[in-house]
Amino acid sequence: MNVLWYFLSPLIALLAGLLFLGLARKIMARIHWRYGPPVTQPLIDIIRLFSQRSASHGALFDLGLVLSLAGSLVITLFLPLGNIAPMSGSGGMLVILYMMLLGPLGMALSGGASANPNASIGVSRKLMLAMGYELPLLLVLLAVMTRFDTISIVSIVQQQRAGAWSIASFPLVVSGIAYLMVLPAILGLRPFEVAGAAQEISSGPQVELGGPYLALATMQHGLSMYIGASLFVNLALGGAANPFVFLVKVLVVLALCLFVNASFPRFRVEQAIGYLWRWPTLLALAGLVLTVVTGR
Amino acid sequence: MDRNQLIKWLKEPAKMGHKYSLHAVYFCTGCGIIEVPPSITARWDAERFGVTPAASPRQANLFLITGYVSLKTLKAIIRTYEQMPEPKYTVGFGSCPINGGMYWDSYNTIKHLDRYIPVDGWIAGCMPRPEAIFVAVTHLWTLIDKDMADGYRRYRRNYAAYRANQEMVLGELGWPPLFGGEGE
Repeated sequence: MNVLWYFLSPLIALLAGLLFLGLARKIMARIHWRYGPPVTQPLIDIIRLFSQRSASHGALFDLGLVLSLAGSLVITLFLPLGNIAPMSGSGGMLVILYMMLLGPLGMALSGGASANPNASIGVSRKLMLAMGYELPLLLVLLAVMTRFDTISIVSIVQQQRAGAWSIASFPLVVSGIAYLMVLPAILGLRPFEVAGAAQEISSGPQVELGGPYLALATMQHGLSMYIGASLFVNLALGGAANPFVFLVKVLVVLALCLFVNASFPRFRVEQAIGYLWRWPTLLALAGLVLTVVTGR
Repeated sequence: MDRNQLIKWLKEPAKMGHKYSLHAVYFCTGCGIIEVPPSITARWDAERFGVTPAASPRQANLFLITGYVSLKTLKAIIRTYEQMPEPKYTVGFGSCPINGGMYWDSYNTIKHLDRYIPVDGWIAGCMPRPEAIFVAVTHLWTLIDKDMADGYRRYRRNYAAYRANQEMVLGELGWPPLFGGEGE
């Protein structure tokens, strides 16, 4: 049974990611007072894209996309999906932190190989943004790890379910709010949509992707949305007892970010970095200091 | 989704995908583009038909030629069309691409777009209203269903003739032929 989950949990994550992309388009449409596409629209797009053939720009262009998708799929083995975490025994949160870099890195490699100026600008913006949100994210993770005295994400979830959710307990609530403030940047939603700005730099790193390449990139996008939100659910909202409740919690967090996405215009890059390195970082730092001072 | 479409989805998923996922090129070819922003935003909402503006020709499979086509634009249109992955559909929007419209006497616009790239359907009018785009999209669905939206195949088959027409108005094109002389 345990072996089965090694295949099932990435698959569930992939399908959930695509469903979230569809729901995101629907929710955005309802906020705009439109009817919106069917929820299955990303799936239809992917079927269409896989049936087409598009130009490749060399081996690195293909392999970068594969690397980014594979990296995202592997993370889902380490992230608990409710009570299911196939590779919980090894590495814990540090592995997740390392692997989270593979997604943007793979997209950067394939974007760089496509030799399109828009892709280069998009890649540089994406890495700048990653630099912006990694700092508060690391501070938040340090606070959480210090508080629960472990690097194992499964143990963190279990301790939260025995006691209180970390967003509802005193010193960690500060870190939780800081995490919530950088979550749109991690998910790449507005106001931090600087990398994939469709109107400005023709969707950035994805500009040269067509056919199956774009399908892989869409799947990776859905997965990265799922990973960003489910890390928050695991660390701050106490995980869940079963996969279904977990997915509902992830959906609630994503919907919250979509309301932000619908309400704000896009930051410029330096505005985004200025925001990320000021308020969330200060809050996260305060959370870390409070956690260390108050002890366990 | 209709329940009676489920069989079609299982039989020909690719064709149904082409039908219901039309990504249009974000490319202003003339004054008709003014009808596109209202049709993709909250007022008329093209997204419920699966029509979304795509950011680059590589991601797109629907090309709306919105309005008159000057010689300079024609060059860009041909390059964009050749970059889109197959199958791709072209729709001429407004009377100018059909027969020149009010630019009939102009020295610098072309009159019949379908001599230079294959066109799958036309929307007549000057200007057509945004609803006309949706009528065109539903007609395009019917054409795709019956395998009659075959512009990309005609382009392959008659590439030499299309290329000759393009070179007749544009002079020397700055790029090699898309399909080699192997008779694909």
